[in-house]
Amino acid sequence: MIQFVARIFGYLAAFFLAAMMLLTVADILLRSFFSYPIRGMLELIELGLACTIFIALPAVFLRDEHLVVDVIDHLTTPFTVRILDLAGALVSLVVLVVMAWQMVPLARSMHEFGDVTSDLSIPKIYYWIPVLLGVVASALATLVFIARWRRAGAPVGPQP
Amino acid sequence: MSNLAIGLLGAMVLLGVMFLRVPIGVALTLVGACGYAVVDGWRKALTMVGAVPFELASAYSLSLVPLFILMGAIASRAGMSRELFDAANGVFSGWRGSLTNATIGACAAFGAICGSSIATAATFSKVAIPEMRRHGYDEGLAAGCVASAGTLGILIPPSVILAIYSLVAEQSLPQLFAAALFPGLLLATLYIVVVVIIVRVRPQWTPLVPAMTLAQRLRAAVGLWKLALLFFLAVVGIYLGWFSPTEAAAIAAFAAAVIGFATRTLSIRGFLDALLDTVYSTAMLFFIIVGAFIFSRFIVLTRLPNELVAWVHQVGLSPFLIVVAVVLLYFLLGTFLEEVSTILITVPVILPLMASIGYDGIWFGIFVTVMATIGLISPPLGLTVFVIQAQNPDIPASKIYRGTLPFLGADFVLVGLLIAFPALALWLPAALRM
Repeated sequence: MIQFVARIFGYLAAFFLAAMMLLTVADILLRSFFSYPIRGMLELIELGLACTIFIALPAVFLRDEHLVVDVIDHLTTPFTVRILDLAGALVSLVVLVVMAWQMVPLARSMHEFGDVTSDLSIPKIYYWIPVLLGVVASALATLVFIARWRRAGAPVGPQP
Repeated sequence: MSNLAIGLLGAMVLLGVMFLRVPIGVALTLVGACGYAVVDGWRKALTMVGAVPFELASAYSLSLVPLFILMGAIASRAGMSRELFDAANGVFSGWRGSLTNATIGACAAFGAICGSSIATAATFSKVAIPEMRRHGYDEGLAAGCVASAGTLGILIPPSVILAIYSLVAEQSLPQLFAAALFPGLLLATLYIVVVVIIVRVRPQWTPLVPAMTLAQRLRAAVGLWKLALLFFLAVVGIYLGWFSPTEAAAIAAFAAAVIGFATRTLSIRGFLDALLDTVYSTAMLFFIIVGAFIFSRFIVLTRLPNELVAWVHQVGLSPFLIVVAVVLLYFLLGTFLEEVSTILITVPVILPLMASIGYDGIWFGIFVTVMATIGLISPPLGLTVFVIQAQNPDIPASKIYRGTLPFLGADFVLVGLLIAFPALALWLPAALRM
């Protein structure tokens, strides 16, 4: 189930990545052969990047793929490592919640001012949507990790 | 407590928190935000935590990172590593140690289309290690050679590490790529010298493999056209003024996919997996970059970099001692910290110091990348060694580390040469600017 949800996020992010690539290629081809560049490429790529990264982020949390320094694994018992993993997840949860909480007013003020991009007049709030959703979903993913930690009782390491 | 003391304390707390297995990106954000709050109040610190991810997520210059990763991922899914290995084997075949040298040559070539050492090592661990073991090569040497040669991926352009460095250090990426080319080729040559020495000292580690026939060699060389085309698009196109680095990355990734589909070496499944691998590693990297930006804003706020430069000059340390200290610092950090975070955390502090004794930002980018290649293979946290061990669980990590040791020597020779002759890196970008 967890892996299934992670894959959905992964494929969605992959879609945006592929779109970024294809759009750039299309722009280069149109520009070189028909001298007709796509308008506002920069803004589209930036939107694609925000979507790619923040939609993939919850998947990284679900798959527990974040890099950790694991020197301590060789110095202590597996039980201590598990306790530290739980602590790490709790800290991650706090950081993500603070991030989301601080993002809301920034996004709201941009929305209320009606900020738009210069070329295509894309409302700035569209850039905020994937960012906010991604951070909130990552916080939920961390909650799932914590819940599974309690129930599973066995290490919930990265799945193959 | 002075701001400087807060900065130093923050750096130590950061190491402590990371040591306790808190994910690197989370640790950087947490310590960076708390430190910032101590110096400049909670209000500003919290706003920064909300604003930095958004600023970075929609930063155009960052968009080339996933695209370069994607190109490498597609190239390895499309089996291009196998073809490169065969082609390199065609060059070295007939000599003792030919398979080891072929691995180094092929990794260097693969580095020209792949910007990541982990990906290069992972790819060649599947191709080269079974081949070397089949012919009775010493398994420590086989694995150590792939782990070390894999690090060429980040040095030979394009390079994901240099792309990230160009962001934090605000240096030109085309110049960095040009500067990395000669040191990268030199390192590959030094690795081959290492193999030649090993073959002399321990001939039993590398049994003689029957030589390929001329026809076989020529057939193997034909596969190189893909590499040539992709390198042309991804790197040469930037210098011809055809593409920006982001465009070059996009078109090269696209070309890799088209070549893969056209030659039936890439399946739809393989393409999707390459996309998935890329988005996961991009998101993971990105979270570290966000944390590192927050942490470095805190460090810059404490004026630690300026104070450090002032202190070093006040004490009257000679430039040579400063360079030795910096090499030691990167070596120590590299032994346990992952390479991208090492660069992101240290550059805001160490670059001003190096600039004050006359080394410029382009040179320093190459220097930290070479130090990163050392960190990638030095125990206890050698990431390329981990990758290889995960794929070959029957080779103990200690044996792989032993195998990388002679190559580590070559890495340090390169560091020495770079310090003694900065022109090694700086000559090509200067020549291209003319």
